[in-house]
Amino acid sequence: MDDKYREANRPATYAAANRDIIRPLLTPTVMWVAAFVLATAAMVYGGYCWYLQITWGMGVAGIKHPTFWGVYIVTFVFWVGIGHAGTLISAILYLVRSRWRTGVYRASEAMTIFAVMTALLFPALHLGRVWQMYWFFPYPNQRELWMNFKSPLMWDVFAISTYFTISSVFFYVGLVPDMAIVRDHSTGLVKRIYNILALGWRGTNKQWHSYMAAYGFFAAFAAPLVLSVHSVVSWDFAMSNTAGWHSTLFPPYFVAGAIFSGCAMVITLLMPMSYLFKWHDYVNTWHYESLAKMCLLTSGILTYSYFMEYFIAWYSQNPYEQYIFYWRTVGEQWWIFATMVVCNCIIPLVWYKKAWRQNHVILFVVSIFVNIGMWFERLNIVASSTSRSFDPSTWDLYWPTVVEWGILLGSAGWFSFWFLLFAKTLPGVAITEIKEMVEPPVKGSLEG
Amino acid sequence: MSTASGTQIKGVYAHLDCLLTGIDDLKSAGITGWTVQAPLPRHEIEEAIYEGRPSPVRWWTLIGAVTGLTVGFLLPSLTHAQWPMINPGGKPVVSLPTFAVIMFECTILIGGLATFAGMIVHTGLPSLGLPKILQDPRVVDDKFTISFIGAPASQRERIEELLKGSGAVEVTHGADAIYEVPNA
Repeated sequence: MDDKYREANRPATYAAANRDIIRPLLTPTVMWVAAFVLATAAMVYGGYCWYLQITWGMGVAGIKHPTFWGVYIVTFVFWVGIGHAGTLISAILYLVRSRWRTGVYRASEAMTIFAVMTALLFPALHLGRVWQMYWFFPYPNQRELWMNFKSPLMWDVFAISTYFTISSVFFYVGLVPDMAIVRDHSTGLVKRIYNILALGWRGTNKQWHSYMAAYGFFAAFAAPLVLSVHSVVSWDFAMSNTAGWHSTLFPPYFVAGAIFSGCAMVITLLMPMSYLFKWHDYVNTWHYESLAKMCLLTSGILTYSYFMEYFIAWYSQNPYEQYIFYWRTVGEQWWIFATMVVCNCIIPLVWYKKAWRQNHVILFVVSIFVNIGMWFERLNIVASSTSRSFDPSTWDLYWPTVVEWGILLGSAGWFSFWFLLFAKTLPGVAITEIKEMVEPPVKGSLEG
Repeated sequence: MSTASGTQIKGVYAHLDCLLTGIDDLKSAGITGWTVQAPLPRHEIEEAIYEGRPSPVRWWTLIGAVTGLTVGFLLPSLTHAQWPMINPGGKPVVSLPTFAVIMFECTILIGGLATFAGMIVHTGLPSLGLPKILQDPRVVDDKFTISFIGAPASQRERIEELLKGSGAVEVTHGADAIYEVPNA
């Protein structure tokens, strides 16, 4: 890695880091307003489509016999996967003291929270009768009815709820000292609001002592969630006796896919943010290249997994398993499989060339392809196995309706709405941790 | 400003090594009742003040995690025992492998929330009513401080001498120790 990128990540003083990072806050630009209006419009349209579904019933969606898991489950898995990179960067890279994490982890964590908030909409959308959502959760009731804790769907409720709660707490705790910085650079009502959000933080020795201890424990708690959450999501599929799903390969395959798509999404979100906010000293090629390397590693694992699925189907001599993988490749919806392979296995290969891995245009364009490819991967898994189940008399093709496409668009709007709000109200780069990369001011020496 | 319990004194430092000298000098002189403020966590400050003593937050984490593990086992076990008809795949009513995910998630969830509660208790947050001497906005930028909220009046001169001697760029007491933002 070129030293100029590492050094560029160091502001001259603590005060310079404060000034640079909080400068774009609370001052909406034309670009930001345009993006915010667009995101809100998409969100409102998605809400309208949901209203249509609630009014007219699930018939307006394309999910019907034999495919009852369609775009809603596909998009649920997609958004949960997006969230994983944030936790990987904020927790695992914190525990291994990775230095490039500092510039990108705050925005990645925010991405995690908003991606999981988006994913959480989809069980409700998929349920149809959204007013009965509370049935998901264990609560004492007069009928003494409890949910089945042996079901992977129930495990998923616990996994996603825990993931969302711990990620939110971790995100908020990390923000507390930074919100105190915004407070002390503000006046009037804004100062009072940030003081409440920062819980009156003053950076005393007592506060830092317990804060740092707690932060380490949060990282230690969040780290295994990176691996467990998408493993549990994969069991929604792998624990069922459905051809194309029933495989022990699924947990590592899903986790690798989640990190792959999440790291690509961090590039997609942070690159324009860094350009617009002039944060090149804090988020730059060093970070994008490190993320691209993570993508290359996980793309390799995915490619191996795709190949291994076919090998297992052949080696198992199971005709149902063999047929589903044959049909995914050359059946009516072969192009879903082809899009997945091109976007996830072939296009990212350009990042093996260092110059292209450091080219911002190529980085951004490839990251978009990865996001598209990962959505198609989930569509390839979800829709195919139920379209071609064990009994040929039930076979039918699944394709989303306008309402489902509208809700998919709305989910992107909902995610962007929150991310844009975050970008303008909270420090998008972790100021306190950036300061830790600055040489402390000393008169003599710290060597005692 | 003098209070019934003593005088406010504040030393402001521009350099980390001077702050560390100030902490050592106060400890050597047997003077207590001071608070250090810093714009970032530095292990040198932590070591100088706490000398390796860990935060009690870890006990909250341990108790929370053990509670979570217990809840994660008891909740599915007791509910399945109450409704034993749900027995997919011929598995036993209380089955550790199938409850492992719930136990793991509850350990993380309750352990994490207990850690948060422990952090709130031991950091003294929310600290919206801290004395004004501790509300110096220069701390978030690049200054370190050592503050006494209620030092005995008899020790004021001795404390100020120690703070100045260690390299504090500003030592004030009474009402002067409360920093007001210029032109605010």
